[in-house]
Amino acid sequence: MRTTSTWSTAIGMAGLIALAGCEGESVPEPDAPEEPQSRAAVLPPVEVGEGDGLPDQLPADLVWETNEEDPIFASPDAKRGGTFRTFMLSFPLTIRRVGPDSNGAFAGVLRYNQLSPVTHHPETRRPIPSLATHWAFGADGRSMYYRLNPAARWSDGVPVTADDYVYAVQFMRSKEIVAPWYNNYYTERIRDVKRYDDLTFGIQGADRKPLGEMHSLYAFGPVPRHFHEPRLTADWVKETNWEIEPNTGPYQISKIDKGKFIELTRKPDWWGDGTRYYRYRFNPDKVRLRVIRDVNVAYQHFLKGELDSFSLVLPQFWHDKAVGEPYDKGYIAKYWFYNELPTAAGMYLNSSDPLLADQHIRFGLAHALNFDRVINTVLRGDYARLQAFQAGFGDYDNRGIEARAFDIDKANAYFDEAGFSERDGEGIRVKDGQRLSLRITYGQPHHTERLVILQEEARKAGVDLGLQLLDSASSFKAMREKKHQIAYMAWNASGLAPGFWEHFHSVNAGKTQTNNLTNHANPEVDELIMAYRGSTDYEERTALARRLAQMVHDSGVVIPTFKVPFTREGAWRWVKLPDWLGTRTTGTLFNAQSMSAGLYSNGGLLWLDLDEKERTLDAMDEGVAFDPVTVVNTAYH
Amino acid sequence: MTAKAPLLNPLTLKQWQRFKSIRRGYWSAVALGAALLLSAGAELLVNSRALIVSYQGEWYFPTYADYIPGRTFGLDYDYETNYRELKGAFSAGGVGDWVLMPPVPYDAFENDLKSGVYPPYPPSVADRHYLGTDSTGRDMVARLVYGFRLAFAFAAILLGCNFVIGIAVGCAMGFWGGAFDLLFQRLIEILNNVPFLYVIMIVASVIVPGFWTLMGVMVFFGWTAMTWYMRTSTYKEKSREYVLAARALGASSKRMVASHIIPNTISVIVTFIPFSIASGIAALTAIDYLGFGLPPPTPSWGELLRQGTQHLESPWIVTSVVVAMGLVLLMVTYVGEAVREAFDPKKFTYYE
Repeated sequence: MRTTSTWSTAIGMAGLIALAGCEGESVPEPDAPEEPQSRAAVLPPVEVGEGDGLPDQLPADLVWETNEEDPIFASPDAKRGGTFRTFMLSFPLTIRRVGPDSNGAFAGVLRYNQLSPVTHHPETRRPIPSLATHWAFGADGRSMYYRLNPAARWSDGVPVTADDYVYAVQFMRSKEIVAPWYNNYYTERIRDVKRYDDLTFGIQGADRKPLGEMHSLYAFGPVPRHFHEPRLTADWVKETNWEIEPNTGPYQISKIDKGKFIELTRKPDWWGDGTRYYRYRFNPDKVRLRVIRDVNVAYQHFLKGELDSFSLVLPQFWHDKAVGEPYDKGYIAKYWFYNELPTAAGMYLNSSDPLLADQHIRFGLAHALNFDRVINTVLRGDYARLQAFQAGFGDYDNRGIEARAFDIDKANAYFDEAGFSERDGEGIRVKDGQRLSLRITYGQPHHTERLVILQEEARKAGVDLGLQLLDSASSFKAMREKKHQIAYMAWNASGLAPGFWEHFHSVNAGKTQTNNLTNHANPEVDELIMAYRGSTDYEERTALARRLAQMVHDSGVVIPTFKVPFTREGAWRWVKLPDWLGTRTTGTLFNAQSMSAGLYSNGGLLWLDLDEKERTLDAMDEGVAFDPVTVVNTAYH
Repeated sequence: MTAKAPLLNPLTLKQWQRFKSIRRGYWSAVALGAALLLSAGAELLVNSRALIVSYQGEWYFPTYADYIPGRTFGLDYDYETNYRELKGAFSAGGVGDWVLMPPVPYDAFENDLKSGVYPPYPPSVADRHYLGTDSTGRDMVARLVYGFRLAFAFAAILLGCNFVIGIAVGCAMGFWGGAFDLLFQRLIEILNNVPFLYVIMIVASVIVPGFWTLMGVMVFFGWTAMTWYMRTSTYKEKSREYVLAARALGASSKRMVASHIIPNTISVIVTFIPFSIASGIAALTAIDYLGFGLPPPTPSWGELLRQGTQHLESPWIVTSVVVAMGLVLLMVTYVGEAVREAFDPKKFTYYE
């Protein structure tokens, strides 16, 4: 749901995001002086299934790659220091990364500071070094080899080694962590991990994939063996609830006041500082996350200068609330930054429903929904109509698809064809005594004002739409149990390529707990999806994705809703960004930590200008005004 | 005593006069009564449907009828006629057709949106949005009026259900006493300790609560309040001589409770009515405010209050609903005070 508001709970492929979240930070020089010491105790090898397994010796013909030539995107003007103050809506139930209650909003903060071997450049989208300096691909099409940066250290000073990778798989497969999703993922998707020397290891995934996507699909972060091994008992979950786990990123938790705030401190001599892509980044000395349980209250704190930045994506905030003295006098600057991020938001029609099983009704409904009216009224013309199931994946997008537009005549024709040609006393269509009445399930209260407009307009075509607002977790649960007629939601789309299998393959139809919310099942589509999954050729794969998108459109099971191709934020005058503000894939401008959107390493560009802060506070005391600042960046529009 | 019509009963008459003499309460009752009457016929005053349409010599009365498609009046669509536009078209056409709209020509659901300006719109006499609109362009007056009607109806039905159950159980507890009393006391204590708001939240996360679901949950937890008062009053009355006399004459339990005890506890019952109404309205508003109440787009004060607090920069929303709610609750409370005063047993007792 990032598309509509950055603070709303991200629901969707939470688990997948969790993994994608293990993000890379920085890469040490290949010839760094320190050599990590070998551990005394050698770990037993990872259990490997039939037909899987990496070679015992490192293949000699590997072509090692690295990337030290892409442009840097942080500003050399950045200054270190200060405390960046932000907020969270609730206090985490635990600071563990896995196990019960660990997948809350705070998990993102923890994952920011647990790096993967490789991350992706936010502009070129190519792999760049993080924990590893070099990587290579195996001949089997599903294995990768990495060489770790010898300088990489855990926050307690222990070097990061290949053992931490082997241990990661054993740890994630262990029952003691009480995390079935991870148990399964590290068994089904990650088939083998092998240590070749202290710094070299290999990972084998389940299926062949295009090389360009392998890192994003199979790479994962290490687990600090020296920390967890002694603790991994039946009580692990209980005992590690509030233990600060060593990490590899720039920040580590330094202070916890339960229920009130969590403070992270910048590591003064972080190993990543010398590397190409991490230099000039992660500048504040501290990041303090305060608990403020209501967004509107948090905004008041921001206006008082108690928070440094605030998301203004919602039209109501940008246009109505972000006005007045602090803005007019230039104390708070407003930024509108267009980006290019994957997005998937829509109404997912449950084709198992007797009414929605009829394609005419699905098409009629699509033509009865007046999205333009919503965009041009309550959304202030800021948002745009999404045309297909998903967009923002570059060559994978089928730009030829146009969403069915509001057209009462077409809607009437489709409904008439479906047999709903009579209208009852309220003007709702009926067929054999059954009303054309459909229920929309959704989970975000602020979407109500969009839906009531669609609801009123749809009555003109004789459709009665009921609104079912559940809290966000229950609504997603109801949708995954296929209890909905129309699911109105957004996926937290990420990754380098769109996914079709989970949303449209027939093996996921008619079952609970799958992401095929439409119960879409079509043998022809199944075949293409399998071809798409198996394909390792970029041209072929993108062509298949475009064909699949067309077939999804033709079936009418998805009515695309809105896309928000930008982020909007406000920040106090002393919070500085590079002149270019952010990168092509920046989801949040004012993000002090590692990354902000899926796979790309693009966070941590901001810095705090403490002299400017003093000047601003003085100016406020004296009532002196600066020029108001509103920056609109359309470089990626 | 049972033969007398209650209005002729000198005691009732005295109570009525006493009530009338408390000006604040009396006029509040009059004002509330008027508001209720008006809101009962709200369709005639606040509605997007016309009162009368005269088209080609024929008269139409759309208010309480089935929807009339635009085609009936020579427009080019099959959905419900937009009577405000029709009125404009007729007066421009100049062929003698006309439309009579209610004073506030909007209903509680339609989004009156303009291009180029964004809701919420401030109050405007020219647009006949006398209190402005909410954040999706719905008329505030319409939302308030229909919301008031709904809240009052809800509170009244809730009161009826709570009182019927509460009085029956309370009387039975007081009258029979013993194990029955003990059992129900414990049961009621348990019910009282269930946090009712959580139950509503749990219910709302599983199903969309409708009018009757909410009513069900609130009655389930609400009836207990009356039982304690009725139980004590019944205990008290049960031991009075007139009840003993009735018992000695061979009156059945039912007769003793229905004809003797309940009429003598009427002051307790009546006194609680206004306060129960007020708390019913407040409860519905509160759960709507929290988002667990009636599903959108039902007009509701709680939902308006929420919008108002989210749109403090559009003060007409929060002002209208807070003033309306303050007034209604204040008046109900004044009525309650006056009723309590009028029925005060220290001034008039039935048995002396």
